[in-house]
Amino acid sequence: MDLVNRRLPRRLVLQAGGLVAAGSLIRPAQAAGFAAVKPEQAVIGFGHVGPISDEGWTASHHQGLLAVKQAYPQAKFLEVESIPYSADATRTFRQFVAQGAHLVFVTSEYGDLLHGVSDRATDTAWLECNGHSAASNRSWYYVKHWLPSYVAGVAAGLMSKSGKLGYVGSMPVPTVYCGVNAFLMGARSVKPEATMQVIVINSWFDPQAAAQAGTALIDNGCDVLFGVMDEAAYLQVAEKRGVPAVMWNTDVRRYGPKSYISSIVLDWTKFYVAQTKARLEGSWTPGQPVLLSMGDGVDRDAWGDSVPGPVRAQADAVRTRMLAGYTPFVGEIKDAGGRVRVPAGKTMTDLELYGWNWPIEGVSGLRGA
Amino acid sequence: MIDLLTGVLSTALLAGGVLVLGALGEVLAERVGVFNLGLEGLFALGGVTAIIAVAHGANPLAGLLAAIVVGGAFGMVFAGAVVVLRANQTLCGLALTIAGSGLASAAGRGYSGQPARAVFAGVAIPGLSELPVLGRAVFSQNPLVYVIWIVLPLALHWLLYRTRHGMNLRAVGENPAAADAAGVKVGLLRFGYVVAGAAFAGAAGGYLTLAFVPSWSDGITGGRGWIAVALVIFAGFRPLNATLGAFMFGVITALGFVGQARNWPVPPAVLSMLPYLGTIACMIVPALLAGRTGQRLMAPAALGVPYFRDER
Repeated sequence: MDLVNRRLPRRLVLQAGGLVAAGSLIRPAQAAGFAAVKPEQAVIGFGHVGPISDEGWTASHHQGLLAVKQAYPQAKFLEVESIPYSADATRTFRQFVAQGAHLVFVTSEYGDLLHGVSDRATDTAWLECNGHSAASNRSWYYVKHWLPSYVAGVAAGLMSKSGKLGYVGSMPVPTVYCGVNAFLMGARSVKPEATMQVIVINSWFDPQAAAQAGTALIDNGCDVLFGVMDEAAYLQVAEKRGVPAVMWNTDVRRYGPKSYISSIVLDWTKFYVAQTKARLEGSWTPGQPVLLSMGDGVDRDAWGDSVPGPVRAQADAVRTRMLAGYTPFVGEIKDAGGRVRVPAGKTMTDLELYGWNWPIEGVSGLRGA
Repeated sequence: MIDLLTGVLSTALLAGGVLVLGALGEVLAERVGVFNLGLEGLFALGGVTAIIAVAHGANPLAGLLAAIVVGGAFGMVFAGAVVVLRANQTLCGLALTIAGSGLASAAGRGYSGQPARAVFAGVAIPGLSELPVLGRAVFSQNPLVYVIWIVLPLALHWLLYRTRHGMNLRAVGENPAAADAAGVKVGLLRFGYVVAGAAFAGAAGGYLTLAFVPSWSDGITGGRGWIAVALVIFAGFRPLNATLGAFMFGVITALGFVGQARNWPVPPAVLSMLPYLGTIACMIVPALLAGRTGQRLMAPAALGVPYFRDER
């Protein structure tokens, strides 16, 4: 609840809580689960925030759809791209319900815009990517992107000469705070004086702004770039300026073969097929958030040509330890203002990492910095 | 600091090029008395056309040419409505913006987010590109930059103010009845220059997606068409002033990102607003100056007024 409180207005949380409570009172049977559906009658919906041609975030989710389609070729699939964060989203989700969807993957957080519909459409199971609340017919899921971000940060720290890292951010949201922090922690583990400059462009998909932000960062002395854009514009800038860069979502090295270090690559296929299977067999259960771990939905991509052998080895050693359960997110961790936020010896939980909303020491350009 | 100056100047020239092209096109249309509010839609159409063209041909010049042709074609539709049929210019312009943006969005669905297959790459001019600041900012740009910032503004200035044809053209915008009486073909000039202006706007879109970004995404024009329209009014309907204004806007846009990189104590949202705040400021300044400079920066007298020969 603490997590939710920090991100959402209180009124909203109370409302959501009330709805969940009301739902479970009126329809006690609902919590028991959904009835099985024959694959040839099944209707599976996918609602995306961007275009599936973006070769990034939305493309990765589209791969998930293709995997489900391969597993259940008889099922009917509904896919809507580029759903804006507006009343149009509500209309789109209502359309899924009207078309009889049994399971809908909403591949970005739409919050109220989704919940207003899903709370009334109790016969449909909903999965909200990067969501922050669950209900009797809705869960959320995401990836532990901080693990590969830290690994990439180690490589970046070893490759940076100036110790100034740059980040092209979308909006001041936990994904961005956490990505920035984890990357810088990785870099500082090998280069303690490293710092990170963030530029926020107020969009997830704006190649024009991302390119300008990348240029401004490089002009300002940053010699490794990272970011969380749904497309590859800042990699193209980095390539042109001879600066290495770490990307997100998919392998986009062909847009900057000399610059490409790696990417935080996503793989939703296994999770999507498993969720669909559970829903069709009648064993789908709501309310349990899922964070896909490294090697099981998120990972670093195969190293790019810019990464020297010893750097790969050193970063991969950390990755191997992480796969065995090691976490570097242990106190003492100070925020950008120098205040100790995680006391010495305390390990941050997955939910704390997921909801990280303050920048660590050495980060500038994010609120609290 | 030197790097910063280089970066701002370089981005300003690159980003401002879109506005120069758009504003020059709008100067042409408004000088013959037609107010084209469709720039935003024409930018989008030009941008998506260029991307689709290079995806199939991989030649940036062909892409730009395609953008110019598509811009001109939609310009003909617009000119047909407002010059030939004398429809309301404001409404037709808005319709062109809405239809153009929507059409571009639909046509670009399969290309969204993908980098352009062929681009106008920067070319370092031997010798000059070694200069400090100016070397990278000015003398390492793609060749279009020189055409846009130097050749076109001077050519249009010469056309408008140094030739008889230019005088006729301006006369059509100031007093079409008098021009008509003097034997100037009002309808033909209006039609021709509205189409030419639209072709400029198409080129602006092509430049945006082939030289500046370079890729297509829905909404990539981001209101630049409107800024170009405002710029023309700010510039007193003169090509050289409009070019200067575009440079100023380029600098303002670049500063928004530099401000974040340098941690200026201004929220990023406000920095992103700078170009639009700048537009508002630019609309106020000429109004304040109007008293002093008098007629000099006034709009063409017949701007926005359809010409009916019968009502002479």
